[in-house]
Amino acid sequence: MTQAEIKLCSLLLQEHFGEIVEKIGVHLIRTGSQPIRVIVHDTRTSLDQVKKALCVLIQHNLVIYQVHRRGMVEYEAQCSRVLRMLRYPRYIYTAKTLYNDTGELIVEELLLNGKMTMSALVKKVADRLTETMEDGKTMDYAEVSCTFVRLADTHFVQRCPLVHATENSDPGPPPPAPTLVINEKDMFLVPKLSLIGKGKRRRSSEDDATGEPKAKRPKHTTDNKEPIPDDGIYWQANLDRFHQHFRDQAIVSAVANRMDQTSSEIVRTMLRMSEVTTPSSAPFTQPLSSNEIFRSLPVGYNISKQVLDQYLTLLADDPLEFVGKSGDSGGGMYIINLHKALGSLATASLESVVQERFGSRCARIFRLVLQKKHLEQKQVEDFAMIPAKEAKDMLYKMLSENFISLQEIPKTPDHAPSRTFYLYTVNILSAARMLLHRCYKSIANLIERRQFETKENKRLLEKSQRVEAIIASMQATGAEAAQLQEIEEMITAPERQQLETLKHNVNKLDASEIQVDETIFLLESYIESTMKRQ
Amino acid sequence: MAALRAERASPAVESVRDCRSLESGSFLSLPTFRLLFCPSLEALVLSEQNLPTFLVQLVAMAGNKGRGRAAYTFNIEAVGFNRGEKLPDVVLKPPPLFPDTDYKPVPLKTGEGEDYMLALKQELRETVKRMPYFIETPEEKEDIERYSKRYMKVYKEEWIPDWRRLPREMMPKKKYKKAGSKSKKVDNTSKDTSLTNTADVLKKIEELEKRGDGEKSDEENEEKEGSKEKNKEGDEDEEDDAVEQEEYDEEEHEEENDYINSYFDNGEDFGADSDDNMDEATY
Repeated sequence: MTQAEIKLCSLLLQEHFGEIVEKIGVHLIRTGSQPIRVIVHDTRTSLDQVKKALCVLIQHNLVIYQVHRRGMVEYEAQCSRVLRMLRYPRYIYTAKTLYNDTGELIVEELLLNGKMTMSALVKKVADRLTETMEDGKTMDYAEVSCTFVRLADTHFVQRCPLVHATENSDPGPPPPAPTLVINEKDMFLVPKLSLIGKGKRRRSSEDDATGEPKAKRPKHTTDNKEPIPDDGIYWQANLDRFHQHFRDQAIVSAVANRMDQTSSEIVRTMLRMSEVTTPSSAPFTQPLSSNEIFRSLPVGYNISKQVLDQYLTLLADDPLEFVGKSGDSGGGMYIINLHKALGSLATASLESVVQERFGSRCARIFRLVLQKKHLEQKQVEDFAMIPAKEAKDMLYKMLSENFISLQEIPKTPDHAPSRTFYLYTVNILSAARMLLHRCYKSIANLIERRQFETKENKRLLEKSQRVEAIIASMQATGAEAAQLQEIEEMITAPERQQLETLKHNVNKLDASEIQVDETIFLLESYIESTMKRQ
Repeated sequence: MAALRAERASPAVESVRDCRSLESGSFLSLPTFRLLFCPSLEALVLSEQNLPTFLVQLVAMAGNKGRGRAAYTFNIEAVGFNRGEKLPDVVLKPPPLFPDTDYKPVPLKTGEGEDYMLALKQELRETVKRMPYFIETPEEKEDIERYSKRYMKVYKEEWIPDWRRLPREMMPKKKYKKAGSKSKKVDNTSKDTSLTNTADVLKKIEELEKRGDGEKSDEENEEKEGSKEKNKEGDEDEEDDAVEQEEYDEEEHEEENDYINSYFDNGEDFGADSDDNMDEATY
């Protein structure tokens, strides 16, 4: 793992789980797979805390364990999974757009808790939904279960591997760690539960944030007594499916930008039809005949078969090659080139970065070299129609930032520089990797800056929170406007200004993080797709 | 001046020859030009001489020793600059930490989706701090414990992992003060981890730590109401050792109260005491 990735993982773990878990997590990411004793020794934390931290990390699928020879259990961290924590808001928002508030809350609870049983999940989501509803209304478990089943059917949630049930006749001591297995067929199989009930609204008298210690609160009354019907069957969010969805979204919007709305709808239909037939890592989808596409178009679209055929031909002839024609049967067999599409998207990101960083002339040179693959210095100047001195300067600037690389072609075996061709070329894979690395660094910088800003103004933030709490409690007990005014004036105008500025800055930094994460997604998908093909 | 040049040139000449025998042979390719210069050459470069002419001399000296004529051994234009042209200065320090950007960044995307995701992100940031998975570092005790601190703590729900899914060594060993009934359990869990010689030593260290930890975690319990991952209150059903836990529960339960049992005065003694001191007025 690169230093930038480790730094980013460290910041993410610290924000989500605190410093102890961060220390253990980063140590595991740096050093690879280790047994618990070594972790305790190397990080100089107590065994108790290491165990707690590992439990939390395992619960959230960030660390996996394996039993090695001599019964040692080794723990390994999944760095790429830690980096996914950046994308949680995007997953939750996607669930909201597809399955409304219920789906949104289901995915949110799953992401926050790592794994949950279906019954616990349904109950929690129902309670949360009931809170937001009007007085007197409650959310039925059945509705939540229904949404959950739909999520499982479309593969957005999946089962976690189950504990392998060993036969009891096995002699000897039980193994040091359970083996977890999952059958492919069962991964999305929802257990038959009859969850009956309604969400409970939390009563306001119990709503003490401060005050009574937890121990004095009565334990949850009846629920513990009933046995949980789906005990041991845990569910987690299937991030790969979300990634597939994002990829499809990116392709559709790219087609919409390049051509028009109708073609993007056609591509969306084709992708939807291929969701179940094509594995997500395939380079292209299964061939779809034009007739099938025509039948599966959304109901509102009244385009005739011929128009559809024309659109498909246009899409197939487009130089970007998102859609390809693979045969003529059934009115023409069309495929979507997923790998090429991802490549184009990654290339577009690179071009746009060059343009924004170095200017449009550099971008012209960059696109030229991309198109022509290998060019000499002189040829670059001629084709780009840019004066030699400027072209040289721009080329060397891009070269120093590693967007462009030099390819040496010797004429003689002794590689004499006077008798060697030096050609400029763009290696998309390595440029994408370089850009991805920069993105990780950027996000780490953004998070650091946000934490710095918040820390600088910590005192002011606390004061404003206290004032808000006072106002809220006074409003609840029915105070007059004059009193409220007085309390509000506790925060002076310059302080208000400062708070506004802080809020604006923090919002901007957060929004930037989300946007950089989109670029990271594109680049990572492209790199992954390329590596799989090799 | 010429003599000086000649003197300084001689070590440089050797290095030029060495450089040229390098496999990559890219000594004279312009982008790496500056970087591959040997130090002595760099010194030469820094002198106010015009670079291309110096290069010509270098090459002439190296290649055509004895000929006395300056002649190019390669097409100088291929390197990218003409004769007599002034090249940019050599950069001798790392790039600046906050470089000036000529082009300002494009404004961020805005829209309903982006706004919603922003709000979600900020909300999630607050929520994770309240989850039981967020393990706070135990703070050092300040000199004076502020009264308000106790009541500003956030009370978290506990979380107990499903022990069936975790390796056996994950189960927290019972605290030392329960040595009587739980020492059996301690033995069980410790037997299974494979012990090598070094592990023995580590185990001893760990037991010592735990003893210290046990005391410390007692203090923590009294300070913080609501333990997080300790194997205590049976809110979850997924425990294997329900019975043992419940015994443990009550003791923990008692410890976590504000009130220590022995201090509790339920007022029964009130009347009895005052009877003894009749001269004191009762309010």
